[in-house]
Amino acid sequence: MSKNSNKSFNDWAHSFGRIGTVIALAYMIIMPVIVCTVFDCFPTDFASVLKGSIGIFALFVPVGIAEAISYTPILGSSCYLTFITGNIMNLKLPCVMNAQKIAKVEANTPEGDAISLVAVAASSILTIIVISLGLVFLVPLRPVLENPTVKLASGYMLPSMFGALFLGILTKGSSKTEIENKLFSIVVPFILVCIGIFAGVLSAGMEGISLLFMIPVTILCARVLWKKGIVRVVDNSPEAQAAKAAAKAAEKAE
Amino acid sequence: MGYKEIAGSPLLYILVAVGLLYIIGFAALFLKKSFNRCVELGMEKAAVINVIKSSVVYSIVPSIAIVIGFFSLTTVLGIPWPWWRLSVIGSVSYELMAADMAAKGMGYVTTAEMLAANDPKVFGAMMIIMSLGMLGGFFVLIPFGKKITSGLMKARSNTNSTWGIVMNNAFMLTLAAVFIPFMLLGDPVQMATFLTSVLIALGISFLAKKLKAAWLSNFIMAITLILGMASSIVWTSILK
Repeated sequence: MSKNSNKSFNDWAHSFGRIGTVIALAYMIIMPVIVCTVFDCFPTDFASVLKGSIGIFALFVPVGIAEAISYTPILGSSCYLTFITGNIMNLKLPCVMNAQKIAKVEANTPEGDAISLVAVAASSILTIIVISLGLVFLVPLRPVLENPTVKLASGYMLPSMFGALFLGILTKGSSKTEIENKLFSIVVPFILVCIGIFAGVLSAGMEGISLLFMIPVTILCARVLWKKGIVRVVDNSPEAQAAKAAAKAAEKAE
Repeated sequence: MGYKEIAGSPLLYILVAVGLLYIIGFAALFLKKSFNRCVELGMEKAAVINVIKSSVVYSIVPSIAIVIGFFSLTTVLGIPWPWWRLSVIGSVSYELMAADMAAKGMGYVTTAEMLAANDPKVFGAMMIIMSLGMLGGFFVLIPFGKKITSGLMKARSNTNSTWGIVMNNAFMLTLAAVFIPFMLLGDPVQMATFLTSVLIALGISFLAKKLKAAWLSNFIMAITLILGMASSIVWTSILK
């Protein structure tokens, strides 16, 4: 595939993503303005509004920024649609990783980028349809979905999904290249996060912020280990695997 | 018109429906173009369709969980506004927190008291606060999204050095380094559910290899999610 065709798709995806996102954000802001104008319900007591919103902004603006920095490198050009439709950690990120694993491609390659977009777009459309069906069938579905057992299970969605997700990240994949000893890169960040939790500095809900601080630590560790030749990239293609197996068999025979 | 009447007004329904149609169109165009791009890159159509099937099947359960959140939000915010918020960037915890903070900021002790007052200006304030509060990420994404992803793609494609491959992988590895301690050191049911989910994923992947059932590999995530959630019910009865 030519470099130019990759550049043109990449350019298109980012331009379309940016313009589409700006329009969606403008609509998100205009919608309350229209409602407030039509029903004459603009909040007039701005001090109260500010008092109500300051906590929200202080909490969610930094989290949003941290998430954008941390997740965009994995999401590629699907980042725009992902951030617009939300539910990143429980829906979009697993879909992206799952798609890359099934298609046997890697993130930040032209193939990985395109397949991530396919997965995020399909997932986004499905979610909007399911929520809309929830609205249509609100009356009959409510008692079923608000059943305490169903509610309890839905509260444990993240740990239920992380088993498959992290197994994919931590074990040997089926893509063309494989990174040997990659787990050594996360020993330090893993310990740091554990210490943070034990010391009470980190608590549930601070995963996004922790990611922002731990990404440079992992990259630094990986860089040192890669320079020392401990972390290394090996060919994982079927041909290379066959050659490796043959060499092993020959060694055994000797 | 009061809070409740505005929260259930036909105008709000129409505005939400138009917004959602736009988002669906945005996603559909991305889907079409990226599908064609995959084929252009030499991937088989069947493989790409498999990815779509797997993504859709996986997304059903988390989407149902969002519907549960939607039901709980409707009692505070009416029907159309949560329909919109949960279909776009919102989340149940954020919307509830925003509603609570807005109510308190405007002098009400609880959201129940706020609902009883039926003040239309409170609904206006809440819509504005919720819409603005989640925009933080876009200050990074719109100006720097392309730079971040293109820079990493360039580093990944550098054939003179393998560092790009190692660095790209570091982002995913960090996810595990951060989230696994939160899973293991949190509440015991969470830890047990996580470990069960690892075992289930291992079991399915072993089964898929043993039975040479490639289709099963496509649904590891979806099956693990459902069985893991079911295990949380058992773990709750044992550990709590």
